[in-house]
Amino acid sequence: MEIYLPIAEQSMNVFLLFGLGGAAGLLAGMFGVGGGFLATPLLIFVGIPPAVAVASQANQVIANSVSSLQVQWRRGNVDLRMGLVLLLGGMLGSSAGVSLFTWLKAIGQIDFVIAVLYVILLSSIGLLMLFESASTYFKRRRNPTAPRGKLHTHYLVHRLPGKMRFYKSKLYISAFLPIGLGFVIGILSAILGVGGGFVLVPAMIYLLGMPTTVVIGTSNFQILFVAANVTFLQAATNGTVDVVLALLLILGGVVGAPIGSRIAARLPGVVLRALMGVLVMAVATELLFELLRTPASPYSLGPREVLP
Amino acid sequence: MRRLVLLLLALTVCGGVCAQRIEPPASGPANPTFGAPPDTRLPPSVPSSPGMPELIVDLSQPRVSITSAFQGESLLLFGMFDPPGEIVVVVQGPAARETVMRKERFLGLWLNTGRLQFDDVPAYYFIAASAPLQRLLARGAGGEILSLEDRLATIRPARQRSPAQLAEFRQGLVEVKRREDLYPANFGHVTVQAARLFRAELPFPSRLPEGVYDVRTYLLRDGKIITAVSRPLPVGKVGFSAQLAGWSGEQGPLYGLAAIVMALVLGWLGGAMLRRL
Repeated sequence: MEIYLPIAEQSMNVFLLFGLGGAAGLLAGMFGVGGGFLATPLLIFVGIPPAVAVASQANQVIANSVSSLQVQWRRGNVDLRMGLVLLLGGMLGSSAGVSLFTWLKAIGQIDFVIAVLYVILLSSIGLLMLFESASTYFKRRRNPTAPRGKLHTHYLVHRLPGKMRFYKSKLYISAFLPIGLGFVIGILSAILGVGGGFVLVPAMIYLLGMPTTVVIGTSNFQILFVAANVTFLQAATNGTVDVVLALLLILGGVVGAPIGSRIAARLPGVVLRALMGVLVMAVATELLFELLRTPASPYSLGPREVLP
Repeated sequence: MRRLVLLLLALTVCGGVCAQRIEPPASGPANPTFGAPPDTRLPPSVPSSPGMPELIVDLSQPRVSITSAFQGESLLLFGMFDPPGEIVVVVQGPAARETVMRKERFLGLWLNTGRLQFDDVPAYYFIAASAPLQRLLARGAGGEILSLEDRLATIRPARQRSPAQLAEFRQGLVEVKRREDLYPANFGHVTVQAARLFRAELPFPSRLPEGVYDVRTYLLRDGKIITAVSRPLPVGKVGFSAQLAGWSGEQGPLYGLAAIVMALVLGWLGGAMLRRL
């Protein structure tokens, strides 16, 4: 069954889009990340213009993060103070990111920048996750009762000025650190159409040293508002949000998420992280391959301009 | 029976309401206004001689409506002419500026390095004829009826380039348009029945630019254009698609807010369902 997407200006199979949303939802349920990093490249791959894919995916991320935020909020897993500081950077970053996106689109390099950013991000995060889960696995085997070390290591970033106390996260760090992190995630969110959870979550754990219990909830909080900002700005400046596309992705996600969380409940964390690492690496490899492979046709068309 | 129905349709629908008649061009240079949309200042079609016009044309639909279920569409063009003669149909989409981009290998990666803009590029171009087109055009109608190659020879690059580069980018443009079925690769066939009725299928793909298309039907005799009928064919979104697209274009911020609210509500409901399970 085909449906015409009014903003993407083409017809697309309903079940394909529903399935894409479902896959993103499955990931969201399993790993607590948005799944946008998988859905956006796939949307572009099936022929949705990158500008529309990114903007509509940002719309989908809102739905995804509000449903998991609901759960995290109830469990008290949101560090509101940290979330708001991150959000300050996130709003600035996503606004700058939408302008950057518009500019890259105008000079015809947006597809390339999207692909390169995905390859760099996904491969580094995928490798990180694979190594981390492998080393945890082997450590546990060797010494199952190893004592816990410090909450986190102290290094250069803890010596920056403007320190703030984050009680829930048990942190006393410079506010510039989360603001800067939020800014970077905001830019990524605007350009790649992802919530950025797959970058934000590791960064909060390894860079800020936040306890893992509040990481998912707090990142969801920040992602919700950043995705809303991106959706709004993309709609207002570029007119590239396709609500029909977003609706199908959201509905798919609503079905996929509970399945994902059931799978997650049955698997140990190390296995989950290893699976996630493999998946992320697979997407990165495919995208890299696309960049290296000689294209079927080197030509493409930019946007049509109807002259008066 | 079918022929009769077609004939009746042709007579009733096209009794001078829908078609506008174009005088055959004077001999000499090619008509420079060919690429422009049909001139609406001309009075509606009045047969040049009393009685039956020599060429009557109609379409199975007055417009191409892009609805939520649109997957591309095939329109039937049909009509009647005074034999003998050959029929050529040229369908042209609205002209616009197109940017052709070319990928080249840079440090092992493929990225867009070359770009060239062309003005006056038809969004869509399709020709159908009742006889091999090359033969018809060779006999002198080439000035007015242009094959895709000839038509594209008239598009102007926005910046001056070497002839070799121009040819490459022009070829690239055709490649992309072919891929999207906007420049159908094969000439269509105009089927003539009973020596005076004709019909042709006009294929429109799903990724169809909006605008007023020009459907021009020519009656040729001994390689000369006897008469031509031009019909504007509006292509546009209708219903829900049109509303959404219009809203997105004109009320961007409001549309964005609505999209956010939709996502919030659905996400919230989804989350509530997730807890129940």
